[in-house]
Amino acid sequence: MKLKQLLSLFTACTLLAASALTLTGCGSSSSSGENGVINIYTWTEYIPDSVIKDFEKETGIKVNMSTFSSNEDMLAKVKSEEEGAFDIIQPSDYMIEQMASQGMLEKIDTSKLTNLSNIDAQYLNPSYDPGNQYSVPYLGGVEAMAVNTAMISDEIVSYSDLFDPKYTNQIVLLDDFRAVIGMTARSLGYSMSTSDPAELDEIKAKLLSLKPNVKLYDSDSPKSALISGECSLASVWSAEVALAMDEVSTIKVVYPEEGAYLFMDNWAIPKGAKNVDGAMQFIDYMLDAEHMSKVLEEFPYLCPNGAAIKLMGSDYAANQAKNPPAEVIEKGEYIKNLDNDTLAVYDQMWTELKK
Amino acid sequence: MAKMTKHRLRSNTLPAVTMVGPVTLWLAFFVAIPLLYVLVMSFCSLDSGYNVVFEFTLANYKRLFDPNYVQIYMTSILVAFLTTVICILIGYPFSFLIARTTSKYKALLYMLVIIPFWTNSLIRIYGWRSFLGANGPLNNFLTSAHLADHPIQFLFNRGATVLGMVYCLFPFMVLPLYTSIEKLDKNLLEASADLGARKTSTFLRVIIPLTMSGIFSGSIMVFIPSLGYFFVADILGGGNSDVIGNLIERQFQSGNNWPLGAALSIILILITLLLVKFYQKLGGDMDSLGV
Repeated sequence: MKLKQLLSLFTACTLLAASALTLTGCGSSSSSGENGVINIYTWTEYIPDSVIKDFEKETGIKVNMSTFSSNEDMLAKVKSEEEGAFDIIQPSDYMIEQMASQGMLEKIDTSKLTNLSNIDAQYLNPSYDPGNQYSVPYLGGVEAMAVNTAMISDEIVSYSDLFDPKYTNQIVLLDDFRAVIGMTARSLGYSMSTSDPAELDEIKAKLLSLKPNVKLYDSDSPKSALISGECSLASVWSAEVALAMDEVSTIKVVYPEEGAYLFMDNWAIPKGAKNVDGAMQFIDYMLDAEHMSKVLEEFPYLCPNGAAIKLMGSDYAANQAKNPPAEVIEKGEYIKNLDNDTLAVYDQMWTELKK
Repeated sequence: MAKMTKHRLRSNTLPAVTMVGPVTLWLAFFVAIPLLYVLVMSFCSLDSGYNVVFEFTLANYKRLFDPNYVQIYMTSILVAFLTTVICILIGYPFSFLIARTTSKYKALLYMLVIIPFWTNSLIRIYGWRSFLGANGPLNNFLTSAHLADHPIQFLFNRGATVLGMVYCLFPFMVLPLYTSIEKLDKNLLEASADLGARKTSTFLRVIIPLTMSGIFSGSIMVFIPSLGYFFVADILGGGNSDVIGNLIERQFQSGNNWPLGAALSIILILITLLLVKFYQKLGGDMDSLGV
């Protein structure tokens, strides 16, 4: 009898846990502000709540937030919702290109953005969106290398140094096929989005030679393996390196001399947005140096907003992991969308690496 | 005659419809239709923007035979098999103990299996990761007790993946085993002893055959999920030993190829059906799969 009760309790708890799992990620309320509502769909852990609250207070516009954790999730959701469900979305570089080419984005009238001049020139007019027709950069990152100098005495300067057989089982990489294959391509001097079969063959051979060196693939928190000393080398997002450097003083950031993998997350307005004016007001608010510096205090990502970095003080500006040097951005490359056949080749070599 | 049909309708059909109807609808909406959707999608194509288009193709199924994929199916099956065997080896004595004990702690023992379920398995797996890590409590203990000179690398290999799977799925082995051992008739064990059987042969020739249904249903409930638990392979295996679940997840995420992901899911469903069929053939009781 008692056991039966236990069993039903157990079932109830499992069901609860399952429903809690499915509910995460969709939280938006629907009360309206005095000056209307904007619905924002952003990456998780990317905009501090305090900044949103200040915006609501100053403008009287109510903000409904929902979050995603991958570009592909975001795309699927925007496609499946009716038009006008969101006023602002936050796609990365290649996703801007993909959505714009499918007519999913509204054009942005940048002349209305009074604070756009805060963005450094090298981040404007990007390869994925010439003329910033559809996007305004928010925050981004660089795939940087981290070296624990207490464990590695050699000088590491390039992505190709990671392929040295003496670093067996010492490296942590992102669990991201574009990042790892892209890095391999750069180390051979090719584009991260190459579709040339001969180049791809060469990339594949080199990629597979990396296998013994990789201890772990981790996109969620690669810094932990660096901090614990489990890995002495890494090729991960610069913000992760910055956080690891804060913990362990012997960890150094290195930007590859071949030119690094860059990504940039952008503000964009999806086709059919209901409150374009509110969205523009929000984007302009987030371009303001002071508001952006509040974001950087919590999320030290690559920031295209030069005026905000100035406000952060000289220590922040001098920290190369938090504020990558201008030449790194100049030499860097954004990934591009692959055609289906090329994507299949990338997928195949990634599977072979990970099996 | 007409009167009788009417009467029957009221006495049989109506209650049946009201009782079974909601369940049928539930199953149709949440099981049959999604499965059908997966099946249809597995024959669809992609356009140049990675959108799914309803254009019949077998290309997705052709890609399933990629040698790399086949190798991952094999390692995944190996991981699932090891997980199942270890679960039986640990779970059987454990279930036997709870089922047969007359102690007042019986309910407590049972609770011990169930309590971990109250915490999300993802969090528990992260717990293992920090426990087994280079700076984790286990390594700290080993090094400070001079049992090891330097931290032992427990994580990021296939062994760690199997450990995580065993840990996550252990209760699914214990629960059906417990039920079948509980049902065991004590008189049969006495009879076996009376007829001169030793303890080992009683165990092998009486107890094991009588609890086989529990072993089978436990095995199925451990084996199948462990083909798909990609997060265990990611977090504890460090992404070095993908299982079928990783392949599926990747196609729905970065791989951007939902039809291929659907075709891979069909493989998983086929393996499941095959195992259940096999279980039925061996005389397994379908009810005991439903814990």
